[in-house]
Amino acid sequence: MKVSINWLKKYVDIEESPEALASDLTMFGLNVEGVEDLGADYSGVVFGKVVECGKHPAADKLSVCKVDVGGAKLLDIVCGAPNVRVGLSVAVAVDGAVLKDGFKIKKTKLRGEPSEGMICSETELGIGTDSGGIMELDLELDAGADLSGLLGDDDVILDIEVTPNRPDQLSHLGIAREIAALYKRKLREPETFALEPEEVYGIDIEDPEDCPRFSAAFIDNVTIVPSPEWMQKLLLSAGVKPISNIVDVTNFVLMELGQPLHAYDRDRLAGESIGVRRGHDNETIITLDETERKIDPDVLVIKDQDGSVGIAGIMGGADTEVSDKTTRILLESAAFGPRTIRRSSQSLKLDTEASYRFERGSDVSGTVKALERACWLIREIKAGIPETACRDFVAKPEAVEKTKITLRIAQANRLMGTHLDGDDLSSLLERLALDCEVSEDEVIVIVPGFRRDLKEEVDIIEEVARLYGYENIGREEYLRGNVFSKISTVDKRNEEVRSFLASRGFAEVITSSFMNMEDPDRMGWSESDFRSRPIRLENPLSVQQSAMRTSLIPGMLRVISRNAPAEQEGIRIFEMGKVFLPVNGGESLPDEQVHLTAMLSRTAVPAQWIDQSREVDYFDMKGELEYLLDRCAVRSELQIQRNKEEEPAYIYNWLTKGKIIAISGVIPSSVLKNYEIESPVHFFTAIMDVMHGAGFEEPRYSRLSPYPQVKRDLCVVAQERVTFADIRRVIEKRAKFLESIRLFDYYQGEALGEGRRSYTFSLGFRSRDNTLDDGAVDKVIQKVLNSLQRELQVTLRRME
Amino acid sequence: MNNKGIDRQTLEELEQTAVRELGEASDIGAIEELRVKYLGRKGSLTLSLRSIGSLPAGERPAMGNLINEIKGKLSGIYSARLEEISANIGDPEPFPGDHALPGRVFSQGGLHVLTRVTRDIKEIFFRMGYSLAEGPDVELDYYNFEALNFPEDHPSRDSQDTFYVNRDILLRTQTSPVQVRYMEKNDPPLRIISPGRVYRNETPDPSHAAEFHQIEGLYVDRNVSLADLRNDVTFFIHSFFGPDVKVRFRPHFFPFTEPSAEVDMECFGCRGEGCSICQKTGWIEIMGAGMVHPNVFKYAGYDPDSVTGFAFGMGIDRIAMLKYGIDDIRRFLANDIRFLGQFWSGSWAGVQD
Ligand SMILES: [Zn+2]
Repeated sequence: MKVSINWLKKYVDIEESPEALASDLTMFGLNVEGVEDLGADYSGVVFGKVVECGKHPAADKLSVCKVDVGGAKLLDIVCGAPNVRVGLSVAVAVDGAVLKDGFKIKKTKLRGEPSEGMICSETELGIGTDSGGIMELDLELDAGADLSGLLGDDDVILDIEVTPNRPDQLSHLGIAREIAALYKRKLREPETFALEPEEVYGIDIEDPEDCPRFSAAFIDNVTIVPSPEWMQKLLLSAGVKPISNIVDVTNFVLMELGQPLHAYDRDRLAGESIGVRRGHDNETIITLDETERKIDPDVLVIKDQDGSVGIAGIMGGADTEVSDKTTRILLESAAFGPRTIRRSSQSLKLDTEASYRFERGSDVSGTVKALERACWLIREIKAGIPETACRDFVAKPEAVEKTKITLRIAQANRLMGTHLDGDDLSSLLERLALDCEVSEDEVIVIVPGFRRDLKEEVDIIEEVARLYGYENIGREEYLRGNVFSKISTVDKRNEEVRSFLASRGFAEVITSSFMNMEDPDRMGWSESDFRSRPIRLENPLSVQQSAMRTSLIPGMLRVISRNAPAEQEGIRIFEMGKVFLPVNGGESLPDEQVHLTAMLSRTAVPAQWIDQSREVDYFDMKGELEYLLDRCAVRSELQIQRNKEEEPAYIYNWLTKGKIIAISGVIPSSVLKNYEIESPVHFFTAIMDVMHGAGFEEPRYSRLSPYPQVKRDLCVVAQERVTFADIRRVIEKRAKFLESIRLFDYYQGEALGEGRRSYTFSLGFRSRDNTLDDGAVDKVIQKVLNSLQRELQVTLRRME
Repeated sequence: MNNKGIDRQTLEELEQTAVRELGEASDIGAIEELRVKYLGRKGSLTLSLRSIGSLPAGERPAMGNLINEIKGKLSGIYSARLEEISANIGDPEPFPGDHALPGRVFSQGGLHVLTRVTRDIKEIFFRMGYSLAEGPDVELDYYNFEALNFPEDHPSRDSQDTFYVNRDILLRTQTSPVQVRYMEKNDPPLRIISPGRVYRNETPDPSHAAEFHQIEGLYVDRNVSLADLRNDVTFFIHSFFGPDVKVRFRPHFFPFTEPSAEVDMECFGCRGEGCSICQKTGWIEIMGAGMVHPNVFKYAGYDPDSVTGFAFGMGIDRIAMLKYGIDDIRRFLANDIRFLGQFWSGSWAGVQD
């Protein structure tokens, strides 16, 4: 909301500098986002008349003009506006003028032609948004007349952020009321012309919820001319373009009181009644902006006897618009249902100053007052003669009743941490024009119509806190409740896993939660795969971000792809984040699982003077995953699936108690191609929720044995169908005294014969009770060999 | 039993051989073998001592003394040799080349800057007695808006452009839904923080992202007041940004708190003088806060007459940007390795100017 300080001064004394006022208002809850000094911007802007206008010899789009600015000589000005022509009255910024944003006007040459000033557009002057051409002035002044008075008059504009709960602040009087409360000053209400409600006109409201109140005043002997300079000035400084006396009065009251008004040419309204109803399907209406608009039942319209004449609370119709020929006016001042106007505005995709205020809730009790103010102004500026009789129809009587709110003194103090008594509270609240009745424990607050945002006790407490000053609320009453911090083990362990991977040389990445609907295809997921049927957004930013990810992999592949040009020798990245698995066909909230995915690509070890670089392989990733699982105290079994038909050739599932805890493998080259990645990518994904359920056992202490360890090597030969895991399982099960086991050699090749592999283990044995002698260890080894032979047909390798 | 073995001469020969052998032994294994051979339980000297009994009673003391004397001497030599040999173990040939060559380099990695900042924030609140609570990203309209006192069809919903899945399901626009979810399942008193990702349907630019992160705080007890809110929030800002930073509370509006405030801290760029970081105001908006609205308590099933509470929320990405002077919020999810690496160590400081 842009407010003019000059305008505010009509209702409240302001001695503070604009900067001080802005900072005080900000601390009072009216966040001032900008302070703009208008006067300074317009010095050097004068009234001018275009006397000659011809084509620029060197540029099609430019015109060369001679402009009369009252001096002895006409100014040469090169102008690029399409609407420049002879006879136009314009605002000219002459040499030395400073426009918005400090833009300085100097004599110059444009494409070879001299230019001694600039003919200004609305945007260049900062008073409007029309930058399509120069501003055409409807005024007749002496050439050279200083326009800075008209445009600026040393006014300062505050740009105030008005929160949606405070429609009363969308007006100068509303802001002035806050300033009066802030500085404990008197508020001067604007002068009015008293109106008498009588049944002088028919009003028909279809639904009181849509329109709780409809008031109308009648003006005769209207003459449409421009409004007086003082009114134009104030409107301009509030960012409203002056049009004509009657329209300017309605806009003035809108900006002054916050009540939208609409003026109808009474002679163009059919019949002696007006009403409000929902639109009909297939109905259309041409609005003031000469746009034809389709109406539907979400849209609220104003009707006369013949049909709809305007869109209620948003914009009037062109047919009944005030024109030069208008002599009689019906002035509408109504209250419309906020939700209705919001739906209506969304359905039409049309917001206006009026709809903005109605959506937030207008002052239902203030409709007649706004008419009285408009009539006073119309009389004052001699735009017409108001009739004393007006029409006021209250469709919803409870909407105009004053409300009372009980404020418990103890509750106010409890919530704020203060020690205020009833009188303290009421004297604070009365500054905001809230009448109070104080009793021993309570203050009854009477809420005026313009503060309908005050609905319950806590709303009043907020006002008290604001008036008392947040900065004055102390901390001496500070209490600590009996609350202690519980450690979230899940969070702590997730963070530990992150740190662990980071120190293993992985870069943590954080990618978008969205996925591209092309990802399933690119990833080669089948249509029936749950990952191909993610939660979709109704209103995505783009196709690439139209669904919730079901896997971390596509996003991470994009990271690899994007970083490919960077001179990165090896890629090690991980992400821990949520994936969203659809539940109930997407009708319920999804299952949000935390996944951990790590990827390795290109070199495993950076090339350096002392070591050769080496490409990443399957065992690099497997080692990382095994180390991680061990770190998290997860025991798991590897299930290997051979995939004969398609890539990848192998899929590795890591199971714990029958549940998949992790999967690993290599990204198929066809997928890599889709993501424009050239080097193989190895990955694993661990499902953190399963990890938390299956692992992270607390460490256990066991007594250390004082006796020495005995080492033995064991070399065995197995058939192809037997795996390392099978052999290790048998050894671990059978080997008494076993303390450590490590595979230190593996061989397959001709020497062993087709389909045979040899494994060499280094085993460590130790007893808690004595030093193991050879005989005891030999016995254990023999037992292990017997079991390996019996269960797996694995034999001791004969040394030749 | 052969008693020839323990005459004086034999013992002296034994001694000479042992001394020679100990001197020649060059590794610990050999030394140990000699110890076992001469001094062990089944070693020559021990055996000699045992066979003294077969000597005439008059010769026994002299022979015993001799054996013990030799034993002591050999033990001494043994210990000295052991020490000598041990001292030489693992002393490799010095590297003959440039000793300033770099040591072995490993792959570099590290945490994402958002993880670091989130941890720092959590750490401070954990110290103050806050616990962690989490909620879903894909949320019901009910928790994101209705239970937080955002009326349906109300302009207060405009400030948060929302991604919808369907009429009832949306992507949370704030971490505040965790408040009601947590209160539904837990009785007061409670004090929680809840970090997480939030979504706004906004066209991204350097200061706006469609996905970013917030941390929510909530404290509910019998007599929590605005004064407590000021205390905790100030404690946090002083812990995170330094104890001299000025903090101010400005009245504001949020549907789910009342009274509500925006919290500003003194601009660290200019110490309140006004600069480009703070848009010449001297202050930087750091979080929104307020006293929990009674309607929110009602939705959560609490009695607003028996408890009070405060809530606050701040943007993690924004705090990271402020802390490190990062100029574009979109950097966080872009994961350019040159960006990520800057927060790992000194060697990734970027291009030299
Ligand atoms: Zn600053």
